[in-house]
Amino acid sequence: MTKTHRVKRLVRVLALVAAIMAAAPLLAAAWQQPPGQTEAAREGYVPVKDLPAAEQLPAAPLVLGAYAVIWVGVLVYVWTISRRLASVDRELITLRRMIDTRH
Amino acid sequence: MRKSFVVWVGVAAAMFVIAPFLVVRAPYESTMGLVQKIFYYHAPLGMLMFLSAFVSGIAAGLFIFNGRASADRISLAAAEITVLFGSLVLITGPMWARKAWGVWWQWDARLTSSLLLWMIFVAYLLVRRYGGPGSDKLSAAVSLFGMANVPFVYISVNVWRTLHPKTSVVPTLQPGMREVFWFCVAAFAVLYGVLLALRVHLGAQQAEVERLYLELDDRSELS
Repeated sequence: MTKTHRVKRLVRVLALVAAIMAAAPLLAAAWQQPPGQTEAAREGYVPVKDLPAAEQLPAAPLVLGAYAVIWVGVLVYVWTISRRLASVDRELITLRRMIDTRH
Repeated sequence: MRKSFVVWVGVAAAMFVIAPFLVVRAPYESTMGLVQKIFYYHAPLGMLMFLSAFVSGIAAGLFIFNGRASADRISLAAAEITVLFGSLVLITGPMWARKAWGVWWQWDARLTSSLLLWMIFVAYLLVRRYGGPGSDKLSAAVSLFGMANVPFVYISVNVWRTLHPKTSVVPTLQPGMREVFWFCVAAFAVLYGVLLALRVHLGAQQAEVERLYLELDDRSELS
């Protein structure tokens, strides 16, 4: 197996792992209980639903948005590194071939 | 090295699969409710941004005084991740602030100094990319300034009056929140290590390409 193939395989594994990691917050959100049902909420925390409708800003899109932004950022960064790595590996192979032919 | 890297990727993946479930199960903060859950990722990212700035600055110092190419590669890798984590901190913070404070952004000491820290490391990368010959030493000096800025960002919430929560929040976290928070810090620390190792490996490969180009030039001149 050549180095390029190994890098490609590593990138695929990383992409798969990253996709699983990115899906976890969504699964967790689906699994989440309503806020009012938690023990902490029953112990006197301010119920958001009691606020006037005009003053309520839904928190869920902000929370999910924040978690999504983090994962998109990390995934894009991993993708840029994998692209740069693949490009450098191709260049390395070409250069080594050129050096070998000049022996 | 390769096997241990794969193991660490697996550890990071497992921790980030578990983390959201722990965050969901953590108690709700009394005044902020659901939006406080952003804190479990936002604050660890901020801590790792500080750590990364230190790693970049210390490695830059080693490069300036000892001329070690490996230190320069670590400094560059850490600077890139500082910008990445800094961007995520600066995006997720306002998402929390919009709900908690009613505004997306406030020009207070913590937010402004964090933005400055991020800009210093963006400057590092710009100098590195477009600075031409000698930009490695110049950018290393920029990294040292970035590292020196970290303690000011950290204490800014205690010295100046700001809307941002103080540094006393983390040590006084309630049981139930505390364990989840430190689990997330550990998860981001492992992720940071994985990203740093990957980026340093890329730097080493790029250095090898440059070395081979020089070798090719030498052979061309000899023949």
